[in-house]
Amino acid sequence: MALPTQPKATRRSFVKLAAAAAAGVAAGPFISRNAQAKPVQITFARESSYVKNFDVHFQNVLAPAYEKATGIKIEYQVQAAGGSAVPQLVSMVENKSGADLAWVQQEWLYRDALVDVSDIAEEVGKQQGGWYDEIKRLSVDKGKWKSVPNGNIGQLMNYRKDWFDEAGVKSFPDTWDEFLEAGIKLKAKGHPFGMSMGHGFADNYSWLYPLLWSYGVTVMDKDGKKVALDSSETAKAVEYVKKLYKQACIEDCIGWLDPANNKAFLTSQISCTNNAYSIMVSAKRDLPDMGKVIEHGLNPKGPTGQRYHALVPVTHGVFAYSKDPQSAKDFLRWLMDPKQYRPWIASGDMYFAPYLHAFDKVPEWDIEPRVKPFQKVLETGKLTSWPAPANRQHGEVINRWIVIDMFTKAITGTPTKTAIAEAVSQIKAIYG
Amino acid sequence: MSKILEASRAGPLAAPAHRPIGLGRLGAFVERESVFSWLMLTPPLLFLLAFLGYPFIYGVYLSFFHKEVARAAEFVGFGNFVKLYNDPIFWQAVRNTIIFTGVATVLKASGGLGMALVMNQSFRMKSFARAMLLLPFIVPTVLSTVAWQWILDPGMGLFNRLLVVSGLATTGPSWLGTPTMAMISIIMVNTWRGLPFFGISILAGLQTIPVDLHESATIDGAGTWGRFRYVTLPSLLPVILIVTTFSIVITFFDFQLVYVLTGGGPANSTHLMATYAYSLSMGAGQMGLGSAVALSMVPVLGLLLVLLTLFVRKD
Repeated sequence: MALPTQPKATRRSFVKLAAAAAAGVAAGPFISRNAQAKPVQITFARESSYVKNFDVHFQNVLAPAYEKATGIKIEYQVQAAGGSAVPQLVSMVENKSGADLAWVQQEWLYRDALVDVSDIAEEVGKQQGGWYDEIKRLSVDKGKWKSVPNGNIGQLMNYRKDWFDEAGVKSFPDTWDEFLEAGIKLKAKGHPFGMSMGHGFADNYSWLYPLLWSYGVTVMDKDGKKVALDSSETAKAVEYVKKLYKQACIEDCIGWLDPANNKAFLTSQISCTNNAYSIMVSAKRDLPDMGKVIEHGLNPKGPTGQRYHALVPVTHGVFAYSKDPQSAKDFLRWLMDPKQYRPWIASGDMYFAPYLHAFDKVPEWDIEPRVKPFQKVLETGKLTSWPAPANRQHGEVINRWIVIDMFTKAITGTPTKTAIAEAVSQIKAIYG
Repeated sequence: MSKILEASRAGPLAAPAHRPIGLGRLGAFVERESVFSWLMLTPPLLFLLAFLGYPFIYGVYLSFFHKEVARAAEFVGFGNFVKLYNDPIFWQAVRNTIIFTGVATVLKASGGLGMALVMNQSFRMKSFARAMLLLPFIVPTVLSTVAWQWILDPGMGLFNRLLVVSGLATTGPSWLGTPTMAMISIIMVNTWRGLPFFGISILAGLQTIPVDLHESATIDGAGTWGRFRYVTLPSLLPVILIVTTFSIVITFFDFQLVYVLTGGGPANSTHLMATYAYSLSMGAGQMGLGSAVALSMVPVLGLLLVLLTLFVRKD
């Protein structure tokens, strides 16, 4: 592990200090490499962060530091959050113009348009304790790293501790059955759960997929050749969700897009939902009283006794169409250097949790006890394709909401068997 | 009378004796009607070709190829259309689009007619009321749809608050949370947005109906309903038909409203052909298949355009 030693200072001052040092020290090799080169501009596209300081740190500290060190201006192109970056990236790739490097959301769509970044990823892995295995299944394609993982947006159960206490639920439910019992009690008190099941981007699959897995079900087999969804365990999971929806949830949640559960939680309409910790960030900023009573719980365990979480990965890739992919790679290497990377991650209050073991025990995880559970997501987290490869077909299943709609169809009156059969038939058609 | 007849039989006006200063042979060439009209037509034609023609032709091309994002296109003939034929979500999107377009258009046409009849009356602040009625049409769709998201919110939304406060219900319905209500909601929002288009167009038509037609009908003993049935409606029919055709085309292609409100959910119950084409192309990266969905909309619209042309010619 090669992380810099923590100074005895506040986190914020550490962030500033480390960034300043980064400009002078870490950029040394880049200065020499680029000293003779004409100043150019690199465009870096990223979805805007819910933790504003993360973007601010990049724009005010990292980008100027890199420009000062290398003469290369970094154009930080902030894209709207919540999945709308994907169409923009599709347009860039198809038109072969736009950003030089980007947060390649759903990177299976553009792998063929990305350059090999194995040298950077392997160096970063060696330097910072090694990568979590699961993320390699996304970033490594045919033996080559096509993107450098940046962090995971953890998705956990966000709940109102005060209302749970009032309902006599003293600790967050450990199993899905206990979760249902708690939901029934809370709904009876006028505080239903709001579990997203609409055509959203992440808040739907971030609990429905882990629920399926915890029932011992996966969508595809390990090789991605055979549909594995058609099982009696799937039927049990669907029946469970039907019960959960009818007995514990707000009626609206089957039609929710991603912002809807944040809105419902912040307007006190629901007592629990699955989300990143953006709800807590908004509440602490705008509704301080509510901000104090929000807690985060792990996804419950299923009948198999296992607990799972869905990864929502942030990975950075360099586009082959870039006029100067090497410069973009140099910048990415510099960005992932612990001297830049660690303060940057810290500036985002660990909202983006690094897939690097060097961060397993860093004090940044202790800045807010309610953030700490998100570290667990990395340990039990799986890609939505798990255990199959994260390929285009899997992406199509996700983006056409096939599995999500299997649940909602059953909820809205389609017999469970038919809903499963329809989903299986659609998945078979997609996988060919 | 004879002077008038003479004037009407007069030959074409004589050319001006002197051309304006600075207009040489080039000027004369440009002044020719055939040249001048093409000069005026060329910029919009180029614009249409670049921003409508090219994407359309590219879309047609893509629909015959297996084209995934960042990969080369592979010709599959009608393969994408065969795939769609066997895709239940596609057929659900087709059904949804027809229901959505049909119901919304009927509501907009009847509501727009009513709106125009009211606006044609004399009352205080008529101009202000007319301007206000145009608002739904003027406000950008995405902006107004986001406002509708709030209006339709189950707990905090205006509709349910009104229902609860007025004592009509203890809790309001889940406007976007069940398949039927979600479809009703998107039709309602589309109707709200499209009503002014009908209202203003029909109002313009109303104002062209000669007053003496109404007077004659009144003298012949026609009441309010009779005048409406035998004078107003037949006079408005051409306008209503043209506006309806345009509206069908616009509604058929509606995308933003559904994309913002429901994303096509729950369980695809509000997926329209446009949103399905988008989710296939831009979400799933299947550019060819998405284009095939988009192209499937063309025959219906083509038929409507043919009908429109035939009607206009007949008229």
